[in-house]
Amino acid sequence: MEEYPEELRSPPVSLVAVVGCGELHQAITTHLHSQQPPINSLALPDVSKISFLISPKPKTDSSSSAAVGILKRDWLQKHRTRIPSVIAALFTSDRISGDPAQWLQLCSDLEELKASIRARNIRLVLVVVHSHSKDDITEDRMLALRKRAEVDSKYIITFSQNDAFELKQSLHRLGSIFAELANTYYKDEGRKIKTKIEKKSFSSIELSIRYCFKVAVYAEFRRDWVEALRFYEDAYHALREMIGTSTRTTIQRLVEIKTVAEQLHFKISTLLLHGGKIPDAVTWFRQHNTWYKRIIGSPEAVFLHWEWMSRQFLVFAELLETSSIAIPTISSVIVGTAERPLTEWEFHPAHYYQLAAHYLKEKRSSLEFAVSMSESLGEVDSSAESVVPSTYVGQFARLVEQGNAHVMQPLTDDEYTRYAVAEGKRFQDSFEIIALLKKSYESYSNLKVHRMGSFCGFQMAKEYYGVGDFSNAKPLFDGIASLYRQEGWVTLLWEVLGYLRECSRKQGMVKDFIEYSLEMAALPVSSKTGDQLFGFKECGPAGPVSLQQRKLIHNEVFGFICGELELASSDESANLKVTVDNPLHLEIDVVSPLRLVLLASVAFHEHIVKPGSSTSITLSLLSQLPHTVEIDQLEVQFNQSDCNFIIVNSHRHSGALVDGHQGHRVETASSLSLSTNRWLRLTYDVKSDESGKLECISVIAKLAPHFTICCRAESPASMDELPLWKFEDRVETYPTKDPALAFSGQRAIQVEEPESQVDLNLGLSGPAFVGESFLVPVTLASKGHAVYSGELKINLVDVRGGGLISPSDTEPFSMDTHHVQLLGISEPEGEDESQQDTDKIKKIQESFGLVSVPFLKCGESWSCKLEIKWHRPKPVMLYVSLRYSPDSNESTAQKVNIHKSLQIDGKTAIMISHRLLLPFRQDPLLPSRIKPVNDTDQSPSLPSNETSILIISAKNCTDVPLRFQSMSLEVDGDDFGNSCSVQHGGEDLSDPALVVPGEEFKKVFSIIPKTNSSKIGLGNVCLRWRRDSGLDEQSGTTVNSVLTKQKLPDVNLEVSPLVLRLDCPPYAILGEPFTYFIEIQNQTQLLQEVKFSLADAQSFVMSGSHNDTVFVLPKSVHVLSYKLVPLASGVQQLPRFTLTSVRYSAGFQPSIAASTLFVFPSKPHFKMIDVQDKRIKSLATE
Amino acid sequence: MIVCVAVVGHQNNPLYIQSFTDADDALKLHHIVHCSLDVIDEKVNNPKKSGPTLNETFLGLLYPTENYKVYGYLTNTKVKFILVTTDLDVKDADVRNYFRSFHAAYVDAVSNPFHVPGKKITSKTFAERVTNIVKSFGFSSAA
Repeated sequence: MEEYPEELRSPPVSLVAVVGCGELHQAITTHLHSQQPPINSLALPDVSKISFLISPKPKTDSSSSAAVGILKRDWLQKHRTRIPSVIAALFTSDRISGDPAQWLQLCSDLEELKASIRARNIRLVLVVVHSHSKDDITEDRMLALRKRAEVDSKYIITFSQNDAFELKQSLHRLGSIFAELANTYYKDEGRKIKTKIEKKSFSSIELSIRYCFKVAVYAEFRRDWVEALRFYEDAYHALREMIGTSTRTTIQRLVEIKTVAEQLHFKISTLLLHGGKIPDAVTWFRQHNTWYKRIIGSPEAVFLHWEWMSRQFLVFAELLETSSIAIPTISSVIVGTAERPLTEWEFHPAHYYQLAAHYLKEKRSSLEFAVSMSESLGEVDSSAESVVPSTYVGQFARLVEQGNAHVMQPLTDDEYTRYAVAEGKRFQDSFEIIALLKKSYESYSNLKVHRMGSFCGFQMAKEYYGVGDFSNAKPLFDGIASLYRQEGWVTLLWEVLGYLRECSRKQGMVKDFIEYSLEMAALPVSSKTGDQLFGFKECGPAGPVSLQQRKLIHNEVFGFICGELELASSDESANLKVTVDNPLHLEIDVVSPLRLVLLASVAFHEHIVKPGSSTSITLSLLSQLPHTVEIDQLEVQFNQSDCNFIIVNSHRHSGALVDGHQGHRVETASSLSLSTNRWLRLTYDVKSDESGKLECISVIAKLAPHFTICCRAESPASMDELPLWKFEDRVETYPTKDPALAFSGQRAIQVEEPESQVDLNLGLSGPAFVGESFLVPVTLASKGHAVYSGELKINLVDVRGGGLISPSDTEPFSMDTHHVQLLGISEPEGEDESQQDTDKIKKIQESFGLVSVPFLKCGESWSCKLEIKWHRPKPVMLYVSLRYSPDSNESTAQKVNIHKSLQIDGKTAIMISHRLLLPFRQDPLLPSRIKPVNDTDQSPSLPSNETSILIISAKNCTDVPLRFQSMSLEVDGDDFGNSCSVQHGGEDLSDPALVVPGEEFKKVFSIIPKTNSSKIGLGNVCLRWRRDSGLDEQSGTTVNSVLTKQKLPDVNLEVSPLVLRLDCPPYAILGEPFTYFIEIQNQTQLLQEVKFSLADAQSFVMSGSHNDTVFVLPKSVHVLSYKLVPLASGVQQLPRFTLTSVRYSAGFQPSIAASTLFVFPSKPHFKMIDVQDKRIKSLATE
Repeated sequence: MIVCVAVVGHQNNPLYIQSFTDADDALKLHHIVHCSLDVIDEKVNNPKKSGPTLNETFLGLLYPTENYKVYGYLTNTKVKFILVTTDLDVKDADVRNYFRSFHAAYVDAVSNPFHVPGKKITSKTFAERVTNIVKSFGFSSAA
C-alpha cells in the first residue's frame, strides 16, 4: 500500500487558493484546515503568481487527441495540489477606496486573474479586507468592483479583523463560502464529464475509463462516496471490457491495464471498507481476483503478473487489517450470498498475506526463469537505465536526450521486458516472502489457528532454508515437526524432517543429524504409502516418501554411526565424524520421537521377591528401522547398581573388550540383532540383596564402537503405544511371550525384607480399668537372629480414629488432656543398669513411646512392661513395633521390622451411688417439701442441725473380684468441716473387703449439717481398691491400690420449723399394753398451731384423743401419749398420725414404714451379746 | 474435479488420504487437508457462529484456497471427511451427495471385523469404492 502515491491513498480534499494580503494567509489556511470537512488552501502573495500555478490554457479538446494511455499519471495530483476550485482574491479596503491609480491596478489584477481562471471554470471570491473599522467604501465602487469581477454580490465578502470575534466571524464566513463554491465547482466539473459519458462522446474506451475516473474523483472531492464508488466501478468494468475486446494485448498494454485496474480496485476497496461494508469488499476482492488471475499475459513477462497478483493480496490484507481495527466485530458480520458463501477465513488478513506470499513465490520462480533466459541469451541490460515512468499510469518510456530537452520515447515490448527483468533482479524476494509469511504466521498464531499457522511457518522456514539461514529455519521446522508428530501426519512430517536433517547437516550438528535421520528411517512409511506419493516434485531435500528412501537414510546414518562416513558440512571444520574422540550418545525417554528407533520394555516376572533369591526379568527391544540392526552390547541399569548387568553379543564381541564397570555381571547372548518391528526378547535372572524397590531404569545399547543409545526402560503394563505407528494397520505384538506379562508386567519389583526371627509378644490380662496403672507385658524372644540396636516403638491410637485428646481440652500442659496415657515403660529389674543407661534411648510421650532394646544374643529374651493409664473408659489400639538389625554392622545391614497390635478396652471398675436418709421415726417438716415443685428436678434437701444418714454404695462392674481397702468421705475445703460433722469417715477397713463381680459394697455415714447456708457440698467419696489377685497376695507390693474419687452432689439445707418424732418400743407383745409417744417439737420462735388426728388401727386398741388442735410454744416440745394394746401378732400398722400445721398450711404424715411395729405373740428371749460391734460393722447386703 | 479426499480421525490423524491428480502436488494437498482441520475445529467448537448448520454432519465449504475448494463433513463418531476440489462452481447438493455415499463406504469399511477402529484404513475395496464415488462426482445431480 505504501507503494502507491499519496494522492491515491487518501481521499481527496478540496483545494482553494488565496491571493493577496499575505499577512492573512496563515490564519485563513489554519482555519480552513480545521473545517469539517477540511479544505486545503494555496496561498499566493499576489495575482501575478497565479500563472505559475495554473497553466493558462488547459487541453482544449481531449477527446480528439489520440488516446495513448488511460489515466494521466499526474492528473490526480494536479487537482489535489495545483488546481484550486475556488480562488479568493483579497484586497484591502483602501485599495478599493483609494486613488484611481490603485483602482486601476486592482482592475488589471482582476482581469489577469479572471483570464487565468476562466478556462478552468474556477470560482472567484472577492474578499475586501477592512483594516480599520472606519474604512468606508462607496456603493459605486463596490458595484463597479462586482461588475469587473463578474461575480454575484454574495461572493464579495468583507473581512474585518478588528477584534477576535469579528475575525472569527469573517473566517467562518469565508470558510462556508469556500465550501459552497468548491462543492459547486467539483459538481460542475463532474457533471460536465458525466454528460460526455452519457452522450458517449468519446472516441475510445480509454477515454471512457478516464472520464469515469474523473467523475469519481470529483465525487470524492464532494465526499459523495456513493457516486464515487459507482463511477469507479464503472471505470473498472470498462477496463475489463477492454481486456475482453482486445484479443492479443501486448505486454506493456497489459501492464498498463493492470496498473489502472489495481488503482481502481484500490479505490473501490477503500471506499467499501471505510463504509463498513466488509463483506462487500471481500466479495469484490474475490471477483477482482478471479477476473484477473487468468490474465497472465505473455509467458516471457509472466513474473509481472505474479508480482501484480501478490501486490493485490498484500494491499487488500493491509486494507483489511487497518479497517478491522476500526471495526472490531468482524466475525459477526459474516454473511455472503447463498451461492457464494463467504468463509470466516476470508475476513482474516492472514489469509491474504499468505496468498500474497504464495504469489510472490510464483513471481520469484518465473523471474528466475526469465533472468536465466536473458542471461543465457547474453543480453546486456544497458537499455534499462534510462527507462522512466511515462505520463500515463502504468506506462514506461525511455528518456532520450535530444539537445537540451528530454524526450520520451516509447519502448518495445522486448525492451520493456528486459527493463522489468533488470528491475526485478534488484529485489530480494525471499525476505519479502518471509515478511509476508511472518505476518500471516503471527496473525494465525494469535487466532490460535495452529495448523494454518504452522503451514505458514513451514513456508517461512523453507524460505529461510532457501537463503541459507539455517539457524532461523531450524526452530521453525522443529515446532512444525512436533505438531505433525502429534497428529500423525507422516508424509508432512517426513518433509519437515528432511529439511531439518539437511539443516543440521549444513550446520554440522552431528547429533541432531543422526537423530533426525534415525527418526525418518523409522517413520511408518510402507511401500503402500510410497506408491501413492511416489514422484513428488516438491518433496524437499528428503526425497520422496518411500520405503526405498527410508532404507537409504538408514544405510547412510549407520555409515555415520560406524564412523565410515563423514558429515559433509558447509564449513570444513573437524569433529563431524563419530570417532573415539567424538563419541555420540543419544537419550531416548518416554516422550522422545526416537522411541520408534528403539523401544525398551522391561518386565519382571514377579511382583515381590525375597531378598537374595533371584527372579527373571525379560528385556524386550523393538525397532522400526527398515534394516536389521546388530547390537554390540547392552547394559541394563537398575536403581540398585549392584544388579546392573551387561549383555554381550557373542558374534561381535571379540572377548577381551568388555568395557563397563568391573564388578558387573556379563552375560553373553548368541545374537543381538533387531529386525524391523520384531521384539528382541531376552530373559535373565536378577538377584537383589537389598530390600525395597528394585527398578530397571534404562537400557544402554551400544550399536557401534562410539555410538550408544540410552533408552529409558518402560513397563509393558503402562507403556504408551508407539507414536505414529499406532495409527498403522499392523499386527500388534507383545513385548513378552506371555501375554499376561505383557499386560501386567512392571519394570519395578518389590524386594521383601528379610524374615524376622524374633518373637514379639504382648501379654494381656483382661480389660483395663479406669484409674489404674494398667501393665502390659511385652516380651521379645530371639529365635534365630541376634538383635542389634533394637528399638521398640509404642503407639496408642484411638480405635475410633482421632487422637486420644478430647477436643474440648486442647491445652497441652494439662495432664488430664489425654484420656489414655502411656505412663512409662518399666524394664525388668536385675539387669545391669549401669551398662544400659549409656546407650539407652527412652522417650515417652502421652501416646507414644520409644525404648531401646539391649543387645540380645540368639535364644535370649527380654521383656518390659508398659504402664498405661486410662482416665476415661475408652477402647484403645496399642501398636508395638520392633526394629532391629540382625547384623552388627549397622551401616549396611538391613533393618527388620516386626509389628504387633492389640486392642485394649478401658472400663469403669466401680459404680458409686448414694442415698440420704433421716433417722428412723423422726420427720422434720421441711417447707420445700410442701410446695408443689417438680420433684425430678429437685436436689435432695436436708434439715440442718439434724442428724441425717448417708449411705454410699459401690458396685463392682468388672468381671474380676476387687478388694476395697477403704472408703471415706473426703471434704474439700475448710468450710465443710465447720458446717457439717461426719461420723464414720476416713476409717480404713482393717480387713479389705472382697467384692465379687456384681456385688455392692455399702457404708453408712451420719451427717449433721451445722451451717446456715442453704446448700451444702457433701464432698468426695474416696474409694481405695485393688484387684484381687489371688490367694497368696501380698497387699501393696505387686498390685498398687487405686484411689477412685467421686464427687457427691450438693444438697439443699433447710431449717425445719417442726419436727415430729414417733417414739414407741422396738417391738410389742400380743396383749401387753405399751405407750406410744408422739413428740411435736417447735423449733421456731413462734407459737405454732397444729392440728393432729390419729386414725384407728385394726390391730390395736388405743386410748387418747383422736383429733385436736394444740399450740406448741416456741422452742418447746409438745408430747402426745397414747396407750396401745396389740390385738394381733406380726408386722402391724400402728394408728396413722396426721399432723397439719396451720401456719404453713401443710399436712404431714409419717411414712408407713415408720409407723409399723412387730408384735410378738409372746415375750421372746434374746441373747444380748456384743451388740456394740455389730453396730459399727457396715452391713453388706446383696 | 475432486483432487483429494481424506478421512481424519479423532486425534486429527489421517486415517485415509487419497489424491486424484496427475500433477505432483499431492503433498500440497496434504497440507491443505491438514490446514482445513483448523476450520473444522473452529466450526465444531463455536457452533453458534454457524447457527443453521447445528446438528448437521455436512460442514459446508471450509475455506477457499486460490485454486481449490475444501469441504468438510463430520460423522457422529467425530470422524472427519474432507474433500478438496478444483471446481470453482460446485453445487452444495453434489457435495452432500458425495459425502453421503462416502460415509456409507466408510461405514462399510470400518465395519470389517478385521479393521481396528482408530487405525488407518487399508482396505482395497474401500479405495476402489472411493475412486468410483470420486469419478461419479457431479454427474448424479445432472442426471
